[in-house]
Amino acid sequence: MISATNLTKQFNVRGTPLIAVNNLSFNVSDGEVYGLLGPNGAGKTTTLRMVMGLLEPDSGHVEMCGMRSDGQTTEMRKHIGLISTNDGVYPWLTVREMLMYFADLYAVDLQQAGERLEELARLLDIGRFLDQRCSTLSTGQKQRVTLARGLMHDPPVMLLDEPTRGLDVVGSQTVFRFIDLLKERGKSVLLSTHRLDEAERVCDRFGLLHRGNLQFEGTLEELQKQTGKQHLVDIFIGLLSGHAESESVDAPQIAIPSNK
Amino acid sequence: MKEYLSNGRLWRLCLKELRESLRDRRTIITLVLMPILVYPLLSMALQRLIVGGISKAEPESAFVVGTQDEVTAQRIQDLLSEANRINKTGIRSPIKITRSDEPTKSTVPSEDNTNAIAVSADHVGFSIAIVEKVSLSSALRNAQIDLAISKVDVESIALERETTSSYQVQVEFRQGDLRSESAMSEFRRAMQLLNDNQFETVRQRLNARLPAVVQMKANGLGQRMDPAASIAGVIPLVLILMTITGAVYPAIDLTAGERERGTMEALIATPAPRFALLLSKYVAVVVVAILTALANLFATWITLSFGGLGQAIFGKQGFSLWILIQILPLLAIFAAFFSAILLALCSFARSFKEAQAYLIPVMLLSLGPGLVTLMPNVQFTTLLGIVPLINILLLSRDIMTGHSELLPAFAAVFSTIIYAGATLVIASRLFGAEAATSGSQETWAELLGRPKTTRSLPTMGELAIYLAILFPVFFITSNVGGMLELGTEAAMSFNAVLLVILFMCLPSAYAWYRRLNFPTTFRFKSISNPLDSKGMQVARSIGFFVSVLLLSSGLWMVAFETYLLFENWSLASQLTEEQRTKLRDTFLLIPFWLVLLTGAVVPAVAEEFFFRGFALSAFRSKLAPFRSVLCTSLLFGLFHVIGGNILSLEKLLPTIILGLALGLVAIKTNSLWPGILLHALHNGLVFGMSRIGETELTKWFGADTKHLPMLWLVGGGLSIMAGITLLLIASRQTRTYENIA
Repeated sequence: MISATNLTKQFNVRGTPLIAVNNLSFNVSDGEVYGLLGPNGAGKTTTLRMVMGLLEPDSGHVEMCGMRSDGQTTEMRKHIGLISTNDGVYPWLTVREMLMYFADLYAVDLQQAGERLEELARLLDIGRFLDQRCSTLSTGQKQRVTLARGLMHDPPVMLLDEPTRGLDVVGSQTVFRFIDLLKERGKSVLLSTHRLDEAERVCDRFGLLHRGNLQFEGTLEELQKQTGKQHLVDIFIGLLSGHAESESVDAPQIAIPSNK
Repeated sequence: MKEYLSNGRLWRLCLKELRESLRDRRTIITLVLMPILVYPLLSMALQRLIVGGISKAEPESAFVVGTQDEVTAQRIQDLLSEANRINKTGIRSPIKITRSDEPTKSTVPSEDNTNAIAVSADHVGFSIAIVEKVSLSSALRNAQIDLAISKVDVESIALERETTSSYQVQVEFRQGDLRSESAMSEFRRAMQLLNDNQFETVRQRLNARLPAVVQMKANGLGQRMDPAASIAGVIPLVLILMTITGAVYPAIDLTAGERERGTMEALIATPAPRFALLLSKYVAVVVVAILTALANLFATWITLSFGGLGQAIFGKQGFSLWILIQILPLLAIFAAFFSAILLALCSFARSFKEAQAYLIPVMLLSLGPGLVTLMPNVQFTTLLGIVPLINILLLSRDIMTGHSELLPAFAAVFSTIIYAGATLVIASRLFGAEAATSGSQETWAELLGRPKTTRSLPTMGELAIYLAILFPVFFITSNVGGMLELGTEAAMSFNAVLLVILFMCLPSAYAWYRRLNFPTTFRFKSISNPLDSKGMQVARSIGFFVSVLLLSSGLWMVAFETYLLFENWSLASQLTEEQRTKLRDTFLLIPFWLVLLTGAVVPAVAEEFFFRGFALSAFRSKLAPFRSVLCTSLLFGLFHVIGGNILSLEKLLPTIILGLALGLVAIKTNSLWPGILLHALHNGLVFGMSRIGETELTKWFGADTKHLPMLWLVGGGLSIMAGITLLLIASRQTRTYENIA
C-alpha cells in the first residue's frame, strides 16, 4: 500500500524556479498496478524518487507499510523494489554474486537470501546461468537478472520506472509477465511510463501527469466516461492540446489546478 | 549503519568490489605489466644520471686501459706517470703492464691495486692491459676494458735549446656506460694536467712576472649534499606515481563506472548507507593500490639489487630489505590518502570520460611538488611534514638515505591519515548524489552550507573535516611559536592564546554556522538532574566533586611516573641536560599565577571544550559511549605529542590515560564542568610538583629524587580507584538522563 499526500517539489533551473511536481496525491493498494503516465518531463521520475525517499519533497509526504517518508526513509527503502529503464549489471560478477550482493545491501539474512535466489531462479528462468559472469549474458538474460534483482528482498512495494523502454517485443512480454507475477503476490506496483498502449494493457488504474500536475485519475472506464474518448492515446492528446491553449496565456511553469 | 557493519556484511560488500576490480583485465595490466616494463627502463635512465656524480664516491678498482702493443702501452705509461708526478700526489708504484690473452672483466681488479697509478688523489688509478686475440673495440664493447687506446703517435719537436715530444692519442670509450665514461673523464683530466704543466713552464720561462690570465680560488658555500639524496628522491616519486596509477582505474570503475553500467540508481535506492557503500569501494581501491605498491616495490628492489644500481646510489648496503619494509607502510598510508581523493573526484563525475578529465590535472598537479623533492637541497623540515604528497616523498627519501627525523615523520603520517579520513567523508557525500538529487549543488550545500534546522550533535564526518583543517593549523602555529624563540613567559602565553583560538573559538564558530545546539554539543549542562529531589541533587554534586578531587590527586602521579619511565628509555624529548637545566631555571622565574593560568586553567577549559565537547559528541553520534571515550582520548593523546617544534612521545601515554578519565567523567556526569575542574587540577599539580626544587624533593623522598615514594604511588592508585567508584555510584541513575536530554 502506497499513499502519497500533497507531494510538491520545486527545482531551480538556472535561477528560475520550476515546479516539477505540484501537490500530487494518489494511492496504490496491495495487488494493484497504478500507472503514472505522462510525456517526458511530466514529473514521473521526480515523483518516483520522492516515493523512494531519494528526494526530499518540499511539502507533503509518502506513507507505506506504516512508515512515513519524513524521518523513516531508510527504513522505507527496505520495503521498496526498483526496476528502472537503464538498469545494468556488473560485468565481472556472476549472476549469483550480483544477486547476493543486493540481498546484502537490503540487509537480507544470508540463508533467506539463498532460498529466495533459488525461488527467483525458477520463476524467472535464470537458473542455467547463475554462475556465469554477467558480461557473457544476452540482453534478454540480463533483463531477467535485473528483474530478479528487484525482488531479492521480497519488497511489498515495487516501483517500475519505464521498464520496457528500449526492449523488443519478447523483452516487453517478459516485463508484462513479471508484472502479472507481482500482482499475483499482492504487491503494490507503481509503474511510470509514457507508452500508453502498454499501460492500457497492464495497469488497473491510471494517473495522468502533465507538467507536475495530476490531470486525471481513475480506471480506464472512468477515464473513457470522463473524456468521451475510447483510447488512452486519444485521451492524452486531448489533454495535451487542451493544455497548449492555456499555455499561451500562462507562464509555462504555472500549474493548472489539479482535477482532483 | 550497524546492520551493515555487523555479520561480516561490510566484508562481503568489500569483497564484491574487490572481485569486480581484480577480475578486470585492465586492473591487472597496471598491476603486473607496468612494473615489469617501467623499472628496467628507469634503471637505464638512472645509470646515465649517476655518471660522474656518485660513482666517484666509492671507486673499487683501477680503470683498465686496453692497448694492442707494447710500444703504445709504454707510451701510455709514460704519460700517466708524468701526469701523476705533476699532480704531486706521488707515485704509489710504477704502473705494471699486464699481458692478457683474454682480458678479465674490467670491474674485477686485474692486478693488485697498489700497482695502479693514481692520477688524482681520490681515485684508484689506471692499469694498462695489452689485449691479444680479440680486437680492441670488441674488448671495449664487452666491458673487458674501460678505455681502448688504439695508437699513440709521438712527434719530436726541436726547440731552441731542447727537443720536446708531442703525443697524439686515439681513445675510445663506451658512451652511456657509467664506468667507461668515468674512466674517460679521469683520463682526460690526467692529459689536461700535462698540457697545463707545459704551458706553465713556458709562461714562466718567457717572463717570470707574467701572471696567469686567470687565477681562481673557488670556495663552495653551504653544506655539500649527498648526491645520492636527489637520486634517492626519484625512487619514491616513481613508486608513488605508480601507486597512484594502480588506484586510478579501480577508483573510476567503482564510482563513475557504476553510473556508466546503470547500476548506480539501483545501488542508491537500497537502504544501505552511502558511507558503507563508499567505504567498501574505498577498501577495494586501497587494496588494489597497495598491491600495486607492493608489486612496484618488489620490482624496484629487484632492479636495484641485481643491476648494481642500488649500491651506486645507497652505498655498500644497497637497497636493503629493511628499507623496503619501512617504505611499504608509507606507501600504504599514501595509498589510503590518494584513494580517498580519487574516489571523491570520481564520485563527482557522471561518466568515465568526465572522471578521467578530472583526474588528469590532479595527476599532473601532484607531479609538480613531486619534482620539487628531487632537488638535492630540499630538506625535510618540520613544516613540510604536513604538506600532503611532499611529506611522504621526502620521508621515503630520508628513510632510503638513512637520516629520517622523528617529528616530521610523525607529522607526515598523522596528517596524511587525517586528510584521508576527511576526504573520505567528502567522497561519501558526493557519491551517488547525482543519482539521488537533481544537481550536485545540493550536496555541496549540505556539506558546506548553513543548515536550516538546528541539530543536537555534530557528525563524525564533520569532526573529520574539522580535524583536517585543525591539525595543519595547529601544527604550523605551534611550530612557528617554537621557532620564534620567545621567552618562556611569552611562549606559554602564546600557547594559551593558540589553544583558546583553535579549540574554543573556531569550534564555536563552526557550531554556530552549522546550527549545532551548544548545550548538547559542548555539554554545557548542569551536573544536577532536574528529575532528582533537592537533596539528591546536592548529594550527587558532592559525589562528583569528591570523585574529581580523588582522580586528580592520583592521575598527576601517573603523568609524573610515565614521564620518568620514558626518560629512562631515552624516548623523551631530545634535550640535553644543559638545555633542561636552563629550561628549568627560566621556568622557576615565571610567576606561579601565570603558570597556573596558561598551563592549567586555559588548557583545561579550551581542550575540554573541544575534546570532551565537540569531539566526544561527534563520536557519540555514531559510537557507543566506551568506544567514543577511547577514540577521543587517542585523539587527545596524539595532539599532545606535538609541543612547539619538538616531538614529545613521552606525553602520549599519560595524556591518553588522562583522556580516558576525562571522557568517563564527561559521559557519566553529562557535563563539561567536572572535566574542566579535573583537567585544571591535574595540570596544576604536575606544574606545582615540577616547581619544587630538587633539593626539597630529596628531603621529602629520600635519596632517590627521581621517583615518587612507593607510599605515594599506592595512595595515588587507591585514590584513582576510589574516584572512579564514587563517580559510578554518584551517576547511577543519570545513565538514562543523557537519552532524555
